[in-house]
Amino acid sequence: MPRLTGLFDSFDNLDQISMEAIASWLKPVPQLNQLEDYLANKILYPQALPLTEPDMQIDLSILREALRMNGPKPGFQKNNALLGDNPFLNVTLRKILIPVKFLNFVPDLMSLTLVFIDALLLSREKKDYFQDLWTIVLTDNIDEIVGSILLPQFDGSGGVMNLELQSKNYEIRQGNLMLVPCPKDRCEIAYKLQKGKLLGKKENAFEIYGGKLGLVIDGRSA
Amino acid sequence: MKHLAPLRMRVEKDVITRVARVLVGKGVLNVSVGQQVTPPEIIGMATISAGFRTLDLSTLLSVSPQEVEKLLVKKIGQRIYKGELLAFKKGWLIGGKKVLTSPTDGVLDFLNNKTGELKIAFLPKKVNLPAGVYGIVEVVDKERGQVIIRTQVTRIYGMFGSGRSRDGILHILGKKDGLISKSAIQTEYDDCVLVGGSLFFKDAISACISAGVNGIITGGIDAKDYKGMAGGRLVFPKKLDNDIGTSIVVCEGFGSVPIGTDIFEILSGYEGKFVFIDGNKAVISLPSPLSSSLVKTKNTKLPELQNNDLILDVGQIKGDLELKSGLKVRVVGNSYLGEQGKLVAVNDSLTLLPSGARDYLVTVETARRKIQVPVANLEIMV
Repeated sequence: MPRLTGLFDSFDNLDQISMEAIASWLKPVPQLNQLEDYLANKILYPQALPLTEPDMQIDLSILREALRMNGPKPGFQKNNALLGDNPFLNVTLRKILIPVKFLNFVPDLMSLTLVFIDALLLSREKKDYFQDLWTIVLTDNIDEIVGSILLPQFDGSGGVMNLELQSKNYEIRQGNLMLVPCPKDRCEIAYKLQKGKLLGKKENAFEIYGGKLGLVIDGRSA
Repeated sequence: MKHLAPLRMRVEKDVITRVARVLVGKGVLNVSVGQQVTPPEIIGMATISAGFRTLDLSTLLSVSPQEVEKLLVKKIGQRIYKGELLAFKKGWLIGGKKVLTSPTDGVLDFLNNKTGELKIAFLPKKVNLPAGVYGIVEVVDKERGQVIIRTQVTRIYGMFGSGRSRDGILHILGKKDGLISKSAIQTEYDDCVLVGGSLFFKDAISACISAGVNGIITGGIDAKDYKGMAGGRLVFPKKLDNDIGTSIVVCEGFGSVPIGTDIFEILSGYEGKFVFIDGNKAVISLPSPLSSSLVKTKNTKLPELQNNDLILDVGQIKGDLELKSGLKVRVVGNSYLGEQGKLVAVNDSLTLLPSGARDYLVTVETARRKIQVPVANLEIMV
């Protein structure tokens, strides 16, 4: 069996991540010097796996910050439609690109997807309604679509989204996140929002990509 | 199913290599190419004359700068020795008496009447250069004041480090898992290479620099302290050399990590002996204390030197090897970091770890317990 490389092989600037930023994702917050030693050992021994659940949480927080750090830089040509502003996003096609090898280190696809949403989409400036919908793609030699992300825009507090999928009804409140299974390639959804919009409308019905993960509906605000 | 793990060179015994002996200042070298040398043999002599020390006598005597000159016991231009009376101020009934002695040997060079500061220039000092090793002289570079000697050493490879090549007498400060603070560093460790335990605190590293310690060998170091000495970056292997005034080799990783038994046992055998330390390459060279090593040294030819430069070929990772029971292994990562033991068993099926990750588990028997770790967290020791 070939030896695994590390989760963070794609990043060469992990040492530039601030400890405060990593700590902000963790509860309880560990001591910053311990966190710094943890990250340094991660850089020194990139192949090592986390053994405990708290260690996995630290790894995921490091990954969030590593993904964020590889976002747009000052001077980046924002009007170049061919280039995304992050190697893990295809802005033109509204795709979030998760390398399949990351699953060797974080086998839980939902946890991994959540990390990508937190890092790349949660605080992303939305320039048009289409940025409310993203397709989740596992990238390898052959890409695999595993689901979609819906980001409803609530205006004010107490917003609710009612979603119908495959004759089942779901309710997503503002500030919450929900995973709705939809193993088919295409899923028909219908929604209605109170105090909010999705894709510029309060209610609508359309088809989106499903897959082995399904639909992630994120009602959290940045 | 085959499971591979990286093969890490930690200790390399009885290697024929070249070491450089360098004069600390301008001087003469009195050996010739091909000459056989022994450790106590003086192969050169240098004179150190540079340097001075400034004392703020106005503050130390609690007088105005203009009053300092009349309180000096010696005149400007005169020689003074360490501990000799330098300045004296009479006191009154309620106190105020001040007695100042010279902190160093030197010459009273200059007194600034506006600031009350006295400059003492150090006396020129002659420093002998012993060979330090049993070996054969290969190069005598009078321009650089350097002699390159072919010799036999045991090499220890640390994980990373900082600082140029230095040498000194090895001194072990305590147990392999001790925490080293400032109070452990004494002035008599001048020119020594100190072996600590699991962590050298920042104040201990600073104390080493102040005391003139040539090298530090430790199991772990705080990432923040290492970043401070490595230009703010954590890049392995290092791309840029740096030096903070002492050389450090970290044998295990970041945080408090005891020095591995394999390395500590060998270092313990070298207490009080002369060793070389190269922090930037993370290598410690322990010269053979046996005169019989000269036989192997004489009979071993090394590749030609390029421009008389000593380039150490350092490669700690020697590829991958299949994991098999009985192999000596070392645990890496953030859990059980640095623990060493014998590989007892490798599981046939994948195990779901408490972290949620999956890997094949192996059982390692250490000196005091048996632990199970994923294959990914193992290195095979050489």
